[in-house]
Amino acid sequence: MPSIVVTADDEAVDVAAERENAVVLAKSLTIDNQGGITDRVITLQDVFTPSNYYGAPTPIVDQDIERFRALVVAGDIITWGEEDLKGVKCLGAMQVLSTVADAALDHCYVTVGYEHE
Amino acid sequence: MLELQPKPQFSVVIPPKLLQEGYLVHFSSDWPSTHVAIREKTFRIDAVNQVPYDLSYILPTGLLGTLYRDVDFSNGSGAFQESIYPENQSSLFEVLLGFKPGNFISHWYIPAGKSVHNLEYAQMYPDLTNVKRKYLGARQPKDSPYDDPRIKLYFVKDLAPLIMRLYVLPGVAFEKIVVGLTVNKCLMREIAAPTEDQLLKAKVIRYYDYLRW
Repeated sequence: MPSIVVTADDEAVDVAAERENAVVLAKSLTIDNQGGITDRVITLQDVFTPSNYYGAPTPIVDQDIERFRALVVAGDIITWGEEDLKGVKCLGAMQVLSTVADAALDHCYVTVGYEHE
Repeated sequence: MLELQPKPQFSVVIPPKLLQEGYLVHFSSDWPSTHVAIREKTFRIDAVNQVPYDLSYILPTGLLGTLYRDVDFSNGSGAFQESIYPENQSSLFEVLLGFKPGNFISHWYIPAGKSVHNLEYAQMYPDLTNVKRKYLGARQPKDSPYDDPRIKLYFVKDLAPLIMRLYVLPGVAFEKIVVGLTVNKCLMREIAAPTEDQLLKAKVIRYYDYLRW
């Protein structure tokens, strides 16, 4: 199972790229806001473009769907395991988004374990 | 411990899922006259080549049957054509098809608009706009899992378009539908005068109309 550490920011950060013949499943998640001075809401975003289909709008609209959301207060660290993340599935790329921008003295790190299935 | 394994009284041989080299196939008389090159003829498989191929689609929930994706397996450059059919008269494509799990169903038509799975009473045909009949004849992912596909299709040159209609069931905004194909390319050689024994051994391939008596 691959994992990656990303710095949370108010612009979405890539965790796992879209794979056409698989979905991305979140298997573990740790949000480390111990180096942060601001409470943050961290979300896992599912970003994809739907396929063409009968009844589709023109043009087909890109989607950015929130799949997981958690509030982590400043100074805190929280971990979720596979059982907690059951059902968190991204059809396209998985990204991490924070309500607070990364700043010189305000860092929050997100570790995501994931699998393409 | 000393153990003597008893001699088995019988053994079970599981035949291969796909046609193999040396196998015989016979195309029945219910093939339309447009397929005169294979109709009522027997062939020996001289070579096989299994080609895996995954298709995938991300679709929104079907909204009372008005949103769906048609997958047309025939050849061409149309938006929904996947070009899985053979181009040579001597080729037979045997296709295993399985689905990864998901919240969707599939309906089957050959040619377009003509369902394979009607019942006999009037209006008992698959209809995505009807809350009950959208499940009539619907194949679900569990019916043919990706790792153990149960849906088998036979394609020959110029076969009428076979359509798989994919519909995402209510309850999710979007679903990713992954369709795993194994295309068993078979090179056929005609047996001009098959013996009775060869005819008995040959796998009979019937035209899709036999499902609609």
